[in-house]
Order: sequence, then C-alpha cells, then structure tokens
Amino acid sequence: MNQNFLKKIKRNDRMARWVITAGGVSIIFSVILILFLITKVTIPLFQDPTKEVYSRTPLPEQLQGQQVLAVGVDDYFENSYLFTDRGTLAFLDAGNAEIRKLVQLSGGAQLNSVTALGNHRYALSWSDEVLSLLELDFPPFFDADGKRTIRYEVKDRTDVAPPDIDEVPMRSLLAGQPGENLTRIDLLQDGRILIGREAVETDLFGNEEQTLSSVSLEEGLGLGISALVADGQGRYLYAGTHDGKLLSWDIGDLEAVEQLDHLQAFSDRRRITALALVFGDISLAVGDEKGGVSTWFPVVGDSGKFQLKKIHVLEPHRSAVTAISPSQRDKSLLSLDEDGIAYLDHMTSERHLLSFFTDTPLRNAALSVRGHAMIAANDQGQLSLWKVDNPHPEVSFKTLFGSVWYESYPEPDRVWQSSSGSDDFEAKFSLAPLIFGTLKGTFYAMIFAIPLALGGAIYTSQFCNARFRQYIKPTVEIMAAIPSVIIGFLAALWLAPLIEDRIVSILLGVLFVPLSFVVALVIWQALRRQDFLKRFDRGYEFLMILPVVVLTAAIVTVAGPLVEQGLFGGNFQLWLYNEAGMRYDQRNSIIIAFALGFAVIPIIFTIAEDALSNVPPSLKAASLAMGASRWQTVWRVMLPSASPGIFAAIMIGLGRAIGETMIVLMATGNTPIIDMNLFNGMRPLSSNIAVEIPEAPVGGTLYRVLFLSAVILFAMTFAFNTIAEIVRQRLRVKYGRF
Amino acid sequence: MRKYLREGEPFVWATAATLALTLIISAVLIVVVLVNGFGVFWPSKLAQVSLTDGQKVMGEIIRTEEHPDGSGLRYQFKTGNRDLYGLDFRWISQEHVTLLEYPEDAVGLERQEYGNFYGYLKAFSLPEGRVEAGSLKQQYVELLPEVQRRMEHLDDLQDEVMVLSRKMQKIDLETQELLYESKNPDVSAVQELGRREAVLKEDFATLLTRQNKAMDGLEAFVGIFVDAAGKEKNIPLSHIVRFYEPNNMNVLEKLVFYLGKLVELIFGEPRESNTEGGLFPAIFGTVVLIFLMSIISFPLGVIAAVYLREYSKEGPVVRLVRIAVNNLAGIPSIVYGIFGLAFFVYGIGGSIDALFFPERLPNPTFGTGGILWASLTLSLLTVPVVIVSTDEALGAIPGGIREGSLALGSTKFQTLMRILLPMASPGIMTGFILAMARAAGEVAPLMITGVVKLAPALPIDGVFPFIHLERKFMHLGFHIFDIGFQSPNVEAAKPMVYITTLLLVLVVLLMSSVAIVLRNRMKKRYTYGTF
Repeated sequence: MNQNFLKKIKRNDRMARWVITAGGVSIIFSVILILFLITKVTIPLFQDPTKEVYSRTPLPEQLQGQQVLAVGVDDYFENSYLFTDRGTLAFLDAGNAEIRKLVQLSGGAQLNSVTALGNHRYALSWSDEVLSLLELDFPPFFDADGKRTIRYEVKDRTDVAPPDIDEVPMRSLLAGQPGENLTRIDLLQDGRILIGREAVETDLFGNEEQTLSSVSLEEGLGLGISALVADGQGRYLYAGTHDGKLLSWDIGDLEAVEQLDHLQAFSDRRRITALALVFGDISLAVGDEKGGVSTWFPVVGDSGKFQLKKIHVLEPHRSAVTAISPSQRDKSLLSLDEDGIAYLDHMTSERHLLSFFTDTPLRNAALSVRGHAMIAANDQGQLSLWKVDNPHPEVSFKTLFGSVWYESYPEPDRVWQSSSGSDDFEAKFSLAPLIFGTLKGTFYAMIFAIPLALGGAIYTSQFCNARFRQYIKPTVEIMAAIPSVIIGFLAALWLAPLIEDRIVSILLGVLFVPLSFVVALVIWQALRRQDFLKRFDRGYEFLMILPVVVLTAAIVTVAGPLVEQGLFGGNFQLWLYNEAGMRYDQRNSIIIAFALGFAVIPIIFTIAEDALSNVPPSLKAASLAMGASRWQTVWRVMLPSASPGIFAAIMIGLGRAIGETMIVLMATGNTPIIDMNLFNGMRPLSSNIAVEIPEAPVGGTLYRVLFLSAVILFAMTFAFNTIAEIVRQRLRVKYGRF
Repeated sequence: MRKYLREGEPFVWATAATLALTLIISAVLIVVVLVNGFGVFWPSKLAQVSLTDGQKVMGEIIRTEEHPDGSGLRYQFKTGNRDLYGLDFRWISQEHVTLLEYPEDAVGLERQEYGNFYGYLKAFSLPEGRVEAGSLKQQYVELLPEVQRRMEHLDDLQDEVMVLSRKMQKIDLETQELLYESKNPDVSAVQELGRREAVLKEDFATLLTRQNKAMDGLEAFVGIFVDAAGKEKNIPLSHIVRFYEPNNMNVLEKLVFYLGKLVELIFGEPRESNTEGGLFPAIFGTVVLIFLMSIISFPLGVIAAVYLREYSKEGPVVRLVRIAVNNLAGIPSIVYGIFGLAFFVYGIGGSIDALFFPERLPNPTFGTGGILWASLTLSLLTVPVVIVSTDEALGAIPGGIREGSLALGSTKFQTLMRILLPMASPGIMTGFILAMARAAGEVAPLMITGVVKLAPALPIDGVFPFIHLERKFMHLGFHIFDIGFQSPNVEAAKPMVYITTLLLVLVVLLMSSVAIVLRNRMKKRYTYGTF
C-alpha cells in the first residue's frame, strides 16, 4: 500500500486523538467551571470588611494649639475638614493635610461643641449660647483650560439666638429644617427642656407665614439627663439619664407635646452617655458608661401602646461610650469610647465590622457620606484617614437564614423585601421564605405527581396491552417537551380562574373520584361474568376506567356549585375567610400542584417505566410460574428490583420541580410568605431570581444575594441529581446489559 | 372476594386509573391549546342587541354563562371600539335584552390602533374632486388600490428616512471615535464629518416634508363609520388593516379570511404592544437563537461524548465525569441564566466593550444582553443533552463492530468517522432535536440575557455587517409570558397568547415526535434480542 497514504492516515488519527482528547476534557471542565464562577460572585458577601491607613498627618502648624471639635472627609480622599474650638473651619487636602482654605466662623465667641447632622451639615454651639446650622460644600469646577479646581464653601448658615432665660443651658441642639421648622432645644441645669421653634408655613397661594412657638418640658426635672437627641425632622426628642432611664417625647406639634416613653432602660442603672438616631430616624442608638451599644425602637407593648424596646445589642466597648455617629448610607453605627477606640457596627446584622485606633486615643471620628473613608483626630491633633472597604455590611448568616427584628416590625421575622421607595430603607434579605416557597411548591407538586407518574409507569410497563404501550410511552415523552412557559401560562390564565370558580368541585373530586372508582370496581365484578366482556379485562383496564373518571369529573363539576350553595353559603372563599381565617389567593398551591406536577410527571414516568421494563423478564416469568398473581408479582418482585430506578426517577423529578422557573413565576403570585396554607401562593428561589435580577445593580448586595440563592438552588438540585445518578449507575452495573 | 383482594386486582385497576388520569390531563391541555388557538382567527358573527333602556350594543359574543346572582343568562360582548368606549368587553344580562339580531351589513374593522371597530359603514369623505359611484362596498373596493399605492409610497419614504438616519448615526459614531482616540483630534476630519452631517440633515428635512405631505394626502381618504348607537367615527382608510362583513360571509370567504390572518401571523409585524398583528420578529428571533445555539452546542457536545466513550479510559474519573454531565442536564435553567449574565454579559461583554468600543461607553454594546449571549447560555444548557444522547448512541453500538473495523486495519479515527458516527447518527440526531426543542421552549435564562418585549431591529438584516449578534431579540416563549402577564390589557391579549402558544406547542411537539421516531428506528436497528 502507498506509504504516504498510510502515514497520512496515521497522522490524521494522531491529530484526531489529540484534538478530541483536549477538546473533550476542556469542554467537560469548562462546563463544570460554571459552579465555581457562580460561587465566586457570592464570596464577597462573607468576607470581612477591610480598612487600610490612607494617610496619617499631624495637625497643620497654623492650627497647632487649637482643639479639634469635629472632622469630616469626602468619599474620594480629596478633601477633608475640621472645626476647632476657636471657631476655625479648615478645609484640608485629605492626603497630606495641607490647608486649602481657612474660614473663621466666629465673631469672637469660642466654639463649645459641634454636632454632625449628616451630609456635611453641622450644628455649632457657641460660648455665647448661639447655635449655628451650616452646610459645607466643595464642588469641583473647570476653568477655560479645562483645569479642575475645587471651590470650598460654607453654603448655608443659620444662626439661632438663645432663649430668653437667665442661666446658661447645659446643652443645646438643633433639629428640623431651616425655613420649615427649625427647632432649638435647650437642656437647663435643673433638667427642664426648653423647645423653641420657628415654623414657616406656605399656604396655597405661596404666602409664607412665620410662627414662633416655644414650650418647656418638665418631665425631666431632677432626673439628671445625661444625653439628648432629636430626629432630623424635629418630630421626636429622646433623652437618657444618669441612672439608665430613657425618655421620649413627640414634639411634632409644640402645642400638643406628648411624652411617649419613660422607662428604666437598664436595670443596673448605668449611665446613658450617648444617644443617636440610626439612618432613617426610626431606631435610637444608646451608648452607656459600661461600653454597651444598643438600638431601640417603639414596639406595641402589653398595654397596647408603643414603647421603646431594646432590639439589637452591638459589640460592647471596653470603656464608656462617648459618641455615636450613624452612617449616612446604611444602618451602620460608628461609636467612640473613652479609651479612644472607634467601632463600626451594623445594626440589622449585628456585625462588628471594624475597629479603628491609633497609638493615642481618638477623640473625633467621622465616616464619609458613602462610607468609603473614615477620618479621626486623636488627642494630639493627629489626623488619621482610613480607606474602608465594606461592601455588604447588612449580610450575615443570621440575616440570610435566621429571624431578625426589622425596624417597625412587631416581632423578629424572616422577611424578603429587597427594595423600597426610600433610601433609608432597611433591606431584608432573608432567604428563608424563598427556600420555604421552593420546598412548599415542590412538596405539593410531588404529592400530585408521584402517585400519578408511578401508577402510570407500573401499569404501562406491566399490565398494559403491548399495542397501547408502544403509543403511551412516546406520548408521555412528548408531554415532557412541552415548554414550561406554556404550562405556566395555562395554569395562571386558564386553570386558576377556572379553579377559583369551581374550587368546591376540586375538593369534591378528591373525595369522589376514589369513591366512584370503588363503586365502578364492584359493578365491574358483577359484569365481568359475561363472557364477551371478559375479553376486555386484561390490558384494557385503563380504557375501561377512563369513562368512569370522566363521568365523575363531569358530575363533580356540576355538583360543585350546588354543594357550595348548600354548605358554604354560595361563596367558598368568603366562608373560608370567615370560618377559618384563611385568605384564598387565585394563584395558590393547588394551581402549582397541578402545573408543576404536570411538568414533572413525564420525567418521573419515563425513568420509572424504563427501570421497570429493564428488570429481567426471567424474574417475572419465575414469579408467575410459581403461581403468584400479576399484582403480587409486581409488588413483591418487580418493584423491589426496580426500586433504585424508581427512586432515581423521583429524585430527578424533585430536582426538576425545585429548579422550574417559568411555571412558578407565572402561577404562584410571588408572595414571599412562610405559610403552608393550600390556598396561598409562595415565592420560590427560582422565580425570585428571575423577578429581581434585572433590577439588581452589578456587584451590589442584592446581586450577590441572588447569586447565593442560585448557588443554593444549584446545591439542592445537584444533591438530588447526584443521588439519582449514583443509584442508576449501580442499577446499570447490577443488571448488566438489560 | 378475599381472594380477589389478595390477588391485588383492585391495585391493578388503581394504577390503570392513574394512567387514565394522566392521559386525560394531557389531552385536556392539548385540547385547550388547540381549541383556543385555532379558533382565534375564525371571524365570528357580529351580534347587535337592543336593551330595555334603549341602548344598542354590537360585538362578538365571547361567552354565555349563568349570572352569578342567579338572574338568568348573561353574555360577554367584545364590543371593540376602544377609542369610543374605553373598554373592549362588556357584560350584558339576558333580561335586559329586547332584541338580538345579526345585521347583514355590520362591519368589522381591524385597525392599526385602538383594536377592532364594529359598526356600519356610512359614507366616504374623499379628497376634493373625487367622486365614487356604486354601493359603499363597491366604492371601498375601488378605493383600496389607490390607498395601497399611496401607502407603499409612504413606506418607500420611510425606508429612505431609515437609511438617512442610519448614515447620520454612523457619522456620529465616527465623530465620537475621533474625539475619543486622541487628545487633540484632527480638526479638519471632524469638521469634514460635521459638514457631511449638515448636508444629510438638510436632506432629512426635505424628506420629512415630503413624507408629511404624502401622509396628509393619504389621510384625506376617510371612511365615515357609525357604531351601533349611531355615534360617528371617521377612520382614515390607511388605518384599516382589514375590512370584513362577518354576517355576510360564507364559509369559503371565512376560510380565505382565516388564511389571510394566518399568513399575517407568520409574516407580519406585531401591532398594539404585541397583542395584534404578526409574530414574525419573534419567530425569526427564535429561529436565529436556535441556529446559533446549535452551531455552538452540537460540535462541542459530540466531541465531548466521543472523547468520553471512545478515547478516555474507563475508570472512576470517567464515571465521575459522566455523573457530572448527567447532573448538569438537571441544573435549573435559571442558574444557567444567571451564570450567562455574570460571565458572558458582564464578564466577556464588558471586556469586549472596554477593548473595542470604549468610545461608546457608558452605553454598552456587547456589555448588555444580546442574542449572542443568550445563545451561548442556551448552548451551555443543551450541551449536556447532546453529550448524553451521543454517548448513549455510541454505547449502543456493539463492541464487535469496532473490533471488526480495527481488525481490518483501519485507524481509530477512520473507525469513528466511517463506522461509528454514521451508525450512531439517529441517536445523535435525537439529541440534537431534543436540544433544539428545549432551546425553543426555554424562557427563564433568556429573560436575563437579552430577550425583549419589542426589538427595534432583527438580529440579521440588510445593513452592514448583516449579522448583529449584539442586538436584543424577540422570542416566542417570552412573547407568551410578556403579553399574557405584562401587557396592559391581558383580557384583550388572550387570543394572541393562545395562538402563540399553539404555534410553539406545534413546533416543539413536531420536533420531539421526530426525535422519538428516529430513536425508535435506531433502537430497532441495533438492539439485539434479549429474550
């Protein structure tokens, strides 16, 4: 033979071997890679936040000798600023602390204290008892050459004169918005609180009317108030005392001030040293002399009244808490203690995120607006700037799976609510209701599917006439190919209204179909004595039973409304609500049982039928030859032999039901509730992904949590499928070529 | 009797009953789809009722049922005329009806907007100087060619507008690119582009005036219609898609009407936020998607299976891989979808944008869902199906055939190409068809990788470079979900959902039936008798 030709063939063969081997291996491994890539997206959820010192600089020379009262920084590590006791506001370069601009805020008075109100807004308390509200801004602008410079400005400054009293207030603070309801609150030496408000109301025609009102609160008299805070809108006022009491007032309308709370918050009478409102102004953060930080919000108590209640306890400090400042982005809190150590904690997840400290104790600390930067000044006036990487503070194992007491909820709960209209919303990422939804839907679907599919498979493979068998199996297989979107659409838009209309018929059917089946059997026993009917006996049973089922279905359909009229006053849904307190949803678990069940029946049927048909016929022949009846043969011989295959069929069906998306998306109503009620819907993991992923910002917490739910879904189906596969492989080995 | 129970005969009957129930449910599903789907286009008679309060209502009777308060029958009318009444449907109790008739001259109109119109043709309002003679119907027939000619002219103008706007868009992109690439761009080139754009803009303006004029000329042909109550409505003839008198049609005419609608369904563009008109973009999108999926998934699947069956050494590793592959076939499609989103769309697509189209950022080109990413995701989803079926087909070939071929001196590759693959081809084909059927019906992963409600352009068209893989697309399955669940008027959209469902069911059932027949034929050829 031609040597060249042989060489060519051999070369081709070698090449093919390489290509196929390399291709095959790489395809298989790249497909398996999917799992790892999805998991990779979720990893940042569980990583600890990190901090990194960006710069550490001494106080600029010009400011030496002055005491720093407050610091602040932007999110881009460009600009920082500080207030000193001499009333100087210094804008600094964040990197090297060079002074960019100095602003003298005072007209001679000393600055006593500075309170941050968030978003670069501050309330300043002067030694002449005047309070100032001001907002800082540093907008960039571009000149003609395109050079970028930053303008540093104090945007709005509003001064509020002290109340007309003889003494110097112990503490003063501002709340509300200037030009709307700016409120000045003064704590007097004896514990009285004076509130003065300058309210501006605009009527329909745009005329502004200014009213001044004031009130004096006497409830704090003699209690020794040690901390005081009001919310940003000037609606609520909170106070803490030396002996661990918490007080609160509704000061929304000064003419009708109402005390809301007066309770012993700490039984060991520890002194409350710091109060602050968590972002959103619902929760109150309380710091005490023992270093504890806890958050409180009003919950309906035993008396039916709203009362402050301790909800979350955060990482305790080792010494008294001196200040708490809330994050402006989420429900995180920055708390500073007497030792000069700052803790960053998240309220909802109760996670201790980071600790900040330097060689000398920190005295002032502040987060940037978006939480990317953290600046602090220590005892010696040294400024420290940290870069903070804290992408998902709200996620912890507990918030994902456990019960969490969310703001304004009456009790701890597992809730999924990923978004809301407002920015200060507390995201609720509990996967529990979704996992429950998946399991509930799967459970009802399997209850419906397993008996039908297995019964059908047993009958088709063992009892059915061979002529029918060769049609039934392909028919069922074709049913498996019906797109789930079609099943879902029919279930939601055709079946659901139908069942809502005829729910009683369905319930009757559950009762009467088996009953009529028994009756039909008895009648058949009588009839089959006739010889010509005997011919139809074996292998044709399902045809004989078909009219019975159809007839029963028709009867219950007609009888349903009559029974509803008689027993349930004509409206089952109303009866259900009044008598059992259950709500009837149109898209409920019955619909899911039918639709999802129908989607998995062909899968279970086909695999189970294969398993039964593959049992060596010799076993069957032997059993029948020993005189066993055909059912005894099936029950005692065939089913045990095929049981691994049947088990695999159920597992694969289960895996399919868990992962099915379109049917549950269309027919469940998508309400994330934990309720086993047959007449309610659910929200499974799969449809939750489909619903929410288009709106999830890439890399955000929601995005990663959705990937986590995909991983959970994957893990569930993977487990079921692997079990099934292993069992099937065993079966294959056991029965060899059969 | 006890013997009867012990022998378990009732249990046999019970299994028979479950099979019967399964078959009934399947049959009901198919029948519901067929009845609702096939019936959609058949023109139903227009009924006119006079009510006790003197009102007259005309429409198709959709449903007749017992009134819930037990006062007798009630009819659900599809009254159309959304622009006049605001609603498409109306319930009328039989007790309020004094007269039910089917007027011969009742007219149904399918319109470009506001859904159907039911009423009577009263007169025509034509451009000055034109007078038509004969009956109204004859006049309409004579006017139609003229109107159509003008509409075609308008379409031509519209095409020109599209060409011009595309040119302008291209210049815009070129300008962006020039400005992006260098700090101090070639001023003369930019100015040149600006000049060209100005010329185009001028052309564009004149074209628009011509278009407006043609439009005005066309809109002058107006039909004056009245509804059952006598309310007049002027409808430009160009807005009428179809004019018919259902009460005056014989079966043959109805059949022609039906076929016309069917042709429109398959080749027409959708109207009225997808609830009317055709499905062409959705069918086209589905076909392109399946095609792209196939050319990626089939070779990969076959190579992987050939490796597993013919080249790898049997052992625990291969067994594990096989379990993994079977397992992958069972992974939820939404998981594949979310992977496609992260890996293809944001990962690869984002990188392509950053490398090749940086001047268009932040508007994504490939970094957003598109038909390429959707088909890649789908091919990942279908690769296991192809692997499993090819693997099984190769495994079913008796070892003797391989040995025979090798013994005759052929190499392994020759054996594979000349003997094994041809013998396994029915099984492999089965895998392909099953994969295609799965791809046709799968919606969840597409929803997050690039399918849209209404795509402005097809993924393949006559504009360079002809195949636009980055474009978003429409899909039959998503169409069902979208118009059934996200359209503003679900009740009015139902017929369209049913017909789309019917189409999809037919396609998928046809494909799977072919697959099953192929497989059975193959089984017969290569299985050797067991007993």
